[in-house]
Amino acid sequence: MPEPVLSIRDLAVHFTTDDGVVRAVDGVTYDVYPGETLGIVGESGSGKSVSTMSILGLIPQPPGKVVSGEAMFQGRDLLKLSKKELRRVRGNSMAIVFQDPMTSLNPVLKIGFQLGETIKAHHGSEKDDEVKDHVIQLLRTVGIPQPERRFEQYPHEFSGGMRQRAMIAMAIANQPALLIADEPTTALDVTIQAQILEVLKTAQDETHAATILITHDLGLIAEMADRVIVMYAGKIVELGDVNTIFAAPRHPYTIGLMESLPRLTADEDWLRPIPGQPPSLINRPPGCPFHPRCFLSQGRARCREEEPPLRPIHAGGTGVHLSACHFAEELEGATSKLAEPTVAEGVT
Amino acid sequence: MVTYIIRRLLYSIPVLFVSSFLIFTFVATTTDPLEAAKMQPNVNKAAIALVQKENHLDKPIIERYGYWVQDAFTHDFGKTILGSRPILPDMLNRLKVTLQLIIAAEVLTLLLAIAVGVYSAVRQYSIFDYSMTTLSFLGLAIPVFWLGLILQIIFVNIFNKWGVRIFYTSGLDNVDPGTGLHFLIQRIQHLVLPVFTLATISIAGYSRFMRASMLEVINADYIRTARAKGLIERRVVLKHAFRNALIPLMTLAAIDFGTLFGGTVITETVYGLPGMGRYFIDALSGGETYVIMAWLMVTSVMVVFFNLVADVVLGFLDPRIRLD
Repeated sequence: MPEPVLSIRDLAVHFTTDDGVVRAVDGVTYDVYPGETLGIVGESGSGKSVSTMSILGLIPQPPGKVVSGEAMFQGRDLLKLSKKELRRVRGNSMAIVFQDPMTSLNPVLKIGFQLGETIKAHHGSEKDDEVKDHVIQLLRTVGIPQPERRFEQYPHEFSGGMRQRAMIAMAIANQPALLIADEPTTALDVTIQAQILEVLKTAQDETHAATILITHDLGLIAEMADRVIVMYAGKIVELGDVNTIFAAPRHPYTIGLMESLPRLTADEDWLRPIPGQPPSLINRPPGCPFHPRCFLSQGRARCREEEPPLRPIHAGGTGVHLSACHFAEELEGATSKLAEPTVAEGVT
Repeated sequence: MVTYIIRRLLYSIPVLFVSSFLIFTFVATTTDPLEAAKMQPNVNKAAIALVQKENHLDKPIIERYGYWVQDAFTHDFGKTILGSRPILPDMLNRLKVTLQLIIAAEVLTLLLAIAVGVYSAVRQYSIFDYSMTTLSFLGLAIPVFWLGLILQIIFVNIFNKWGVRIFYTSGLDNVDPGTGLHFLIQRIQHLVLPVFTLATISIAGYSRFMRASMLEVINADYIRTARAKGLIERRVVLKHAFRNALIPLMTLAAIDFGTLFGGTVITETVYGLPGMGRYFIDALSGGETYVIMAWLMVTSVMVVFFNLVADVVLGFLDPRIRLD
């Protein structure tokens, strides 16, 4: 196996609030390998965004604080870097595409200026006309027509899809080794989503960057990801390659997520949601955080008392497959409706 | 841009026309220029009637308005009742003084308020922030006339005790104002205290406003983007946050410009400055109806003009506003 680009060990991020300490990320460990797309899924508040934003120092501090862990990137621990060193990583060797392109660009500055600034921040010696050529080239790469004209325009003259293309262009401006896409299509309408995915793929091909794709859209994961991490209540509950996760999920939460999707091939009157609410991250339930909502737990004492470790599972897939369930073996034979041949239909 | 400004100037003609009519109607129906004369028992009733007829005071309001507009355009807004001085030249001299005061106060206000507001927001909950919060509430709470008097007492006492004149506490010029640099210095010495007195409330209020505006912007998504790009923090604040935070402040400052004229009434009275504010008070107590009307009219023109200036400035700050 090749050296990972990013290697996160036992990361914990807490937010101090008036009601108590929110353990947003609670002991998360994973690797990202060169060229791969790692999908992180989970519902709102599961810690999927915080786990990546915190290693780049982009969570508000205070109230947020990385309390423990290690994030090795290009031979250095990002959590131990000075503010200045971390700034040199951001937008340079590690870049982010944010969720909402309508609010993520500065309304009073020209698109060309905002992109050029990213380049100049890390390559101060580049001349203005070189930067301009570079930016126009980037705009062309992400499929923005008439880049010379668009260069001089302001964000309000761009449509949502065009703005997200510009955001992607900004992210790949300095040939990052790792690209983090934080719900890149959530704020866009469905027809534009498919185009943006194409642009993301182009951007990956262009830069050979490894990608972390954060989303709650399982369709997007099926389309884009090589490996998948499922997060719940600040913890990883299942990790495996995309085919294994969809064909042989081994955590009740993963199965619940997939069951809650509408099935295109069957005649269903009702969606099947996961019962209950996500747990409070201040007063976490003892034992397995998912047990109050779990169909497998059914009042079993072990689920309430003992926190399940993330352990290897052998469900027949390729590569490493981990699950944090005491009774994962009981899910033998479980599969998801997304494993059916119609997978891609839900995406585009 | 030029067509926009021309169009706005043309729009302001009907606005000023309507306001002139309202000003005339309200002032003419509530004050009588001959009131003082009528109170005098030894003034002949027939003489009063004659003056009324000469000045068309016996005609209906609408007709009197017509005569007034004519006077405004051809006869310097008419003459004062006491002393028969033409109004406009006097008023323009007063306006010169007041504009010096107001523009200096506005510049001081914006510079200080923006600096304090931005720094307080960037260092939120720091000692600086708390001190400025306290000071600004103090500034908002102090009555203008009281502040003016206290400053006068302080600097008069300094002069009496040590014989050093730092600032003058009354008037605009010395008996012999001098020329060139000497004139400039003594003029500034005269204006520092009034300007500071006039600006205190605005500095206090605007710095709070700027702080809030800046805090809102600093948590915006595009600021997170700017940080994610790896920009240095100073650039994030000055290039990305500052300009966005300035937009609402400029709007407020423009609207407030008219109220600064009102503020000069107190400040000019306290410091004995021959400006518009004192002119207004004198006219009010002297029953100079036509001076009051002319004063309100000139003030309306100022408000309309500075609103236009603010819109043009906003057009430069915010590309989403299109001036055409």
